Amino acid sequence: MSQLLRTVLIVCLVMLTTPAWAHAPIMGIRGVLGGLLHALLIPEHGASLVALGLVLGRQQQLARRSGLLIFAAALVCGLVAAGLAVEAKLAPDILLVATGILGLLIAAGWGPPVLGWPLAAIAGLAFALDSTPETTSTDETIRMLIGSGLGAIVALALVAEGAGVLRGNGQPIVARVLGSWIAATAILVLALRIATRMATG
Amino acid sequence: MLRRYFLSLVLMLSASPALAHSEAGVAIDFMGGFLHPIFGPDHVIAMVAVGLWGAFLGVPAIWLLPVVFPLVMAVAGAFGVLGVPLPGVEIGIAVSAIILGSMVALAAKPPLWIAAVLVGAFAIFHGHAHGAELPVGADAVAFSMGFVVATGMLHVSGIAFGTLSRWPAGRIAVRVAGGVIALIGLAYLVRAI
Repeated sequence: MSQLLRTVLIVCLVMLTTPAWAHAPIMGIRGVLGGLLHALLIPEHGASLVALGLVLGRQQQLARRSGLLIFAAALVCGLVAAGLAVEAKLAPDILLVATGILGLLIAAGWGPPVLGWPLAAIAGLAFALDSTPETTSTDETIRMLIGSGLGAIVALALVAEGAGVLRGNGQPIVARVLGSWIAATAILVLALRIATRMATG
Repeated sequence: MLRRYFLSLVLMLSASPALAHSEAGVAIDFMGGFLHPIFGPDHVIAMVAVGLWGAFLGVPAIWLLPVVFPLVMAVAGAFGVLGVPLPGVEIGIAVSAIILGSMVALAAKPPLWIAAVLVGAFAIFHGHAHGAELPVGADAVAFSMGFVVATGMLHVSGIAFGTLSRWPAGRIAVRVAGGVIALIGLAYLVRAI
């Protein structure tokens, strides 16, 4: 093999290499921590928690905590269903619609408990059903679902209580802008999903 | 002969996809969505003008206009994604820069609802144009988030510059910026016609 050929071969092989990640952002991490990260790092999940937290954060303490409890109850029901392998193909879309409505409520500066509570229940259920991990082990699935539940409840409580504390310190304007961004994102994502389904049949 | 085959095979394996244009290669994730509105100068000037005008009008327009714009833009973008036609999009975008820039240059202070309706109406053209260009099958969530955040940041940059209007010299600078935006919009309008 000539020197030139060797050099070309080495250059080509070097160009073919890809970074050797220790693990993919989530795929490599399993167990409770993997589920917790799944709840926090999936963009639509994170957006739904922020949106619901901001809506609940506008409410009085009793109504806010009632909303948190409703979300937690619906989430647990959904996680049990997900653990029993109940299939819910529409869960991501329902979660997205709920997130969009929550975003609109934030942008409008209006989120009474009569709207916030049902949306908390829908978001909790859809969130859980959309959190089914892709594992074959039952133990692993349960551990990841527990992690997802814990992550979602803790994150929601932090956002809702934080928004409640910051209420009146310029937070409403920031929240309204954030709400409009969340709603706009949800609308665009839904449109892209519908268009993709139409294109792929 | 064997060497040639081997070399050809290695070179073939090294080949990357021949994308139609460079942006398509990145337009599938957050950064692709983030860069999408920034690559269109006609969009950029109009969105900055929204922020400038909001800052010029003061509270509550300073936050109301940047809230109205992305919401209407997203709805129009959805129609664009779904292939619903809208005539005169390019003209509408150019006119938006002219009108919004002129509003800033003339220091116009109409009632809040008129400002919101104007901004919302122009957001239809911008949203539809973006929506029609969005890549179907992209990582929809990350792309859309990047897209909306970039739009919002352009508004924020306009607001940041617009806050200079609190001072006399800054007020002149902001009005001049509005005039420049209107002139650039005029150039786009001439080209679109």
